Amino acid sequence: MTRQRLGFGGLFLKYFLVLFLAVVIPLATNGISEAWLGYRDQRTRLEQLLGVEARSAGAKIQGFLDGITDQLGWLVQLPWTEEPDERRRIDALRLLRQVPAIASLTLLDGTSRERLYVSRIGLNRSESRTDRSADEAVAGVRSARLWYGKVSYYRDSEPYMTLAISGNRPSVGVVVAEVNLKLIWDVIAAIKIGQTGQAFVLDGPGRLVAHPDISLVLRGADESTLAPLREIREAVRRAGADVATGWDADGIAVAAAAAPVVGPDWTIVVEQPLSEAFRPIYAALWRTLGLLLAGGVFACLLAFILARRMTKPIHLLEEGTQRIGAGQFNYRIEIKTGDELQRLADSFNAMAAELAVSQERQERIAKLKRFLAPQVAELVDRAGDDDVLEGRRTEVVAVFCDLRGFTAFSAKVAPEEVMSLLSEYYDALGRIITKYEATLTSFSGDGLMVLVNAPVPVADPALKAVDLAVEMQLSVQDLVAGWQRQGYRIGFGVGLAKGSATVGRIGYESRFDYTAIGSVVNLAARLCASATDREILTDATVANEVNGKRALNPMGLRLIKGYDEKLLVYRVSLPEKPSAT
Amino acid sequence: MRRRDVLRWIGGAAAWTLPARAQTPVMPVIGYLAPESPRPFASRLKAFRDGLAEAGYVEGRNVAIEYRWAEGNYTRLPALAADLAGRKVAVLVASGGAPAALAAKTATKTITIVFEMGGDPVALGVVDSLSRPGGNLTGISSLSVEVSRKRLEFMHELRPNAASFAVAVNPTSPTSGSQVRNLQMAAEALGVRLHIMNASTEGEFEAMFLSATREQAGGIVFTSDPYFAFRSTQLADLCLRYSMPAVTQSRDFPTAGGLMSYGGDFMQSHRRAGSYAGRVLNGEKPSDLPVQLVTKVELVINLKTAKALSINIPPALISSADTVIE
Repeated sequence: MTRQRLGFGGLFLKYFLVLFLAVVIPLATNGISEAWLGYRDQRTRLEQLLGVEARSAGAKIQGFLDGITDQLGWLVQLPWTEEPDERRRIDALRLLRQVPAIASLTLLDGTSRERLYVSRIGLNRSESRTDRSADEAVAGVRSARLWYGKVSYYRDSEPYMTLAISGNRPSVGVVVAEVNLKLIWDVIAAIKIGQTGQAFVLDGPGRLVAHPDISLVLRGADESTLAPLREIREAVRRAGADVATGWDADGIAVAAAAAPVVGPDWTIVVEQPLSEAFRPIYAALWRTLGLLLAGGVFACLLAFILARRMTKPIHLLEEGTQRIGAGQFNYRIEIKTGDELQRLADSFNAMAAELAVSQERQERIAKLKRFLAPQVAELVDRAGDDDVLEGRRTEVVAVFCDLRGFTAFSAKVAPEEVMSLLSEYYDALGRIITKYEATLTSFSGDGLMVLVNAPVPVADPALKAVDLAVEMQLSVQDLVAGWQRQGYRIGFGVGLAKGSATVGRIGYESRFDYTAIGSVVNLAARLCASATDREILTDATVANEVNGKRALNPMGLRLIKGYDEKLLVYRVSLPEKPSAT
Repeated sequence: MRRRDVLRWIGGAAAWTLPARAQTPVMPVIGYLAPESPRPFASRLKAFRDGLAEAGYVEGRNVAIEYRWAEGNYTRLPALAADLAGRKVAVLVASGGAPAALAAKTATKTITIVFEMGGDPVALGVVDSLSRPGGNLTGISSLSVEVSRKRLEFMHELRPNAASFAVAVNPTSPTSGSQVRNLQMAAEALGVRLHIMNASTEGEFEAMFLSATREQAGGIVFTSDPYFAFRSTQLADLCLRYSMPAVTQSRDFPTAGGLMSYGGDFMQSHRRAGSYAGRVLNGEKPSDLPVQLVTKVELVINLKTAKALSINIPPALISSADTVIE
C-alpha cells in the first residue's frame, strides 16, 4: 500500500507530467496562437467590413443630398430679367412636388433680391425684391457655389438644413432651399449593417441628423439622447485603424465604424452589435477552447496509460526483487512488454531459478557432508540423485576405533581438559577420514565408526581401509605421546572387518544418518574392542585382500564375543617411524 | 379525510391551471376612439393596422382593439373616452382630430394616449412640446390646420379675379379660432376678402352654399376639421349642385367629385399612429416618443370637376399637384 502510493507519487507522477506536458504544451501553444491570429484577422476583417459599410452608407446619404442639389441646379440655369418669370415659378412648384424633402424654396436674382418664394406650408411670394445679400446662405454660396447650412431643429424637434446653390455665373442667381432632414429616414432606415446593425448621422457639432429610430431624431438637441451617439463617434475616432467598440443608447456593446459625408461635414456612423459582429470570432474561440479541452483530456488519458505501462513493469520488478531477495526463489516476475524491461525480468527470473537450484544443492550437500567427505558429497551431489544413499546390500569395510583408558581419564580430569583432548583427537581423525574419502557413520564419546566402499564404491577398499587405520593409529599415537608426557594413561585401538552389510540412510525428517547394518559391523566393533593400544586388528577377509601389500601379523584364532567359533585375527604392522602424514 | 384533501388539491390545481391556460394568449387591448362611423374610417383604419404591424402587432392575433365610434356626434367623445379608460385598455388611440385627443386627455391621466390630429398639439394644449411631449400623451399631427391658408392661396390662384372667398368654419372645433386668424392674415397678403360661414351639423351645409353663392364668392375654402373631412361626399355633391369650386383638407373630397384638396397625408399620419401604439405596447414611454409631424402635404385636383365647373386650372397649379384626377 505504501509502496503503491510511493509509486504514484514518484515515477508515475514524473512520467505522467512529462508525457502530459509533452502533448499539451505544443497543443496549447498552437491553439492559443491560432486563436489569437484568428482573432486579429477577424477583427481586421470586421474593421474593413464595417469601413466599407460606413463608406457605402455615407455614399447613400451623399446621394440623398446630391439628388436635392441636382434638382436645385435646374433653377439656376438661366439669367433673370426684370420681368416676373412664370416658367421658373412652375419649375419651382414642380420641384417642390418632386422632392418631398424640400419644405420651401427661395429664388434670388443676380443682385441677391428675392424674386420667388414657394412653400408647402406658408404662402408663396413673388417678386418681393427684398435684398437678401446679408443672409448667411447667400453670403456662403457666393464663395462656394454649393453651401450647406447648420442643422437646426424646427420647434426643437424636426431637423432642418438650409442649402444654397448658385449657378455658373452671377446673373442666374441663387436658390436657397429649406430641407427637412427627417426625410433622410427613408435612406437611413434602409441601411442594415449585418442583420441587426444600423447607421446614424451626426453633424459636425454632434447633433443627430438621421437615425432609424425617428423618435431619437425628433427629440432635438437632447443631451441624454445625443451623448451615447457622440461617444460612439469618439470611440471610432480614437480606435484609428482598429475596430471601434462602444455602447449604444440601449447599453448594448457595438462595433462601429464611421465615414464622412463630405459636403455638409457630417459623419455617418455604422454600428453592429458585438454579439453579432464578433460571432465568428467567438465561434472560433469556442472551437479552439473545445479542441484544447478535448486535447487536454486526451493527453491526460494518454499520459496516464503510458505512465502506467511504463511504471507497472518497474513496480513488478521492484516487488519481484524484494520477494526473491526475501528468499522466495520460486517467485516469477511476469512482464510481457517485449522490451528491455522484459529482458530484465527474464534475467531476474533466471537468476531466481539458479538461486533456487544452488540453494537446494547447498542444502543437499550440507546434508551429505554430515557423513560423507566433502569431495564425496560434491561427487554424490553432482551425480544428481540420492540413489547412492538408498538402502542396499554391499561389500563394505567397517572401521572402528576408540581410546583406551578414556573413561577412567575422563572421570579424573576437568571437563575442559576432556573436551580439549577430544577436540585434538577428532581433528586428527577427521582430517584423515576426509583424506581417504571414508564415510563417517557415527561417533560417540571417544569412539567412531567409518565405512569404506559405501555409499560410493572405491577401488581396493580393504587396502584403503588398512592405510586409513594405519594413518589414524600413527596420527593418534603422536597425540598419545603428548598425553602420556602429561601423565594421562590413554591408548588408541582400531578394528576393521570387511563383509556384506546393509547400508543406507536412516533417521527422521531432516535428521538423517548413513549407516551399515550387518555382522561385519559387529565384527569390526569386537575387533576394536579387543585391540590394545597401538594395535590395528583386522579379520581374515581384509588380511587376505592386502596380503603382500601391507605387512600383517597373524594373531592366531581368537574367540570373539558374539561368535561361536574362534576367528582368525591379524594385526597390522605399523611402520617403525611415524611419518605417514 | 386524507383522500378528500388530495382530491381538493387536484381540483384546486386543475382550477388554477385551466384559466391560466385560457389566459396565456391574453392580448393587450387597444382602445380606439374615433369621432365618426367605421365606413368613412375604413382607409384610415387600414393605415393604422399597417402601422401596428410595423411594430409587430396584428389585430386578433396578438392584440385586440376596442372601437368606440362617436358617429359624427362629437359631444359623445368624452363619454366614450371615459368608457375606454374605465376598461383599463393598454393604450388609448384618439384618432381623427383634436376633439378625440382632448376627450381622451380628460378621461385618463395614466393610460398612454396616442393621438392623430391635424392641429398643432402644443397650441391646443394637448402636449407641452413636440420633442418632449410629457405626461401620458404623444401622437401624430398631419399639419392640415397649419396649411389652411395655402388652400386660400390655391383658390386665389384658381380664381385670381375673385375679390372674395367664402370660408367654412366649424365653430365647435377647437382650432377654428386660430385657423380663421391665419386665413385673415393670408387674405390680407393676397388682397382678398373673406366671408366666414359657420356650420357644425350636416343640416347647415346647404345654407352655407347658398350664402356663398349669394355673396358671389370665388369659391369656398374649408377650414381643417374632421367633421368636414368625413363628409366629403355630401360636400362634393353640394359643390356640383351649386357650381361652387371648393377646397378641403381631405383627398376624399376630390375623389368624391370635389374640386381640390390640400392637407396632410392621412394615410401617413394614421400609419404612424399605429406604429406608435405598437411601440407603446412594446413598453416604450410616451415621453420618449416625440410628437411626429407628417412629412407629406398633398395637393389633389379633380380635372373632371374643373371641367364641369368650367374652371381652367393654371399650369402652375397642375404642376404642383401630387395627384390629378382626370
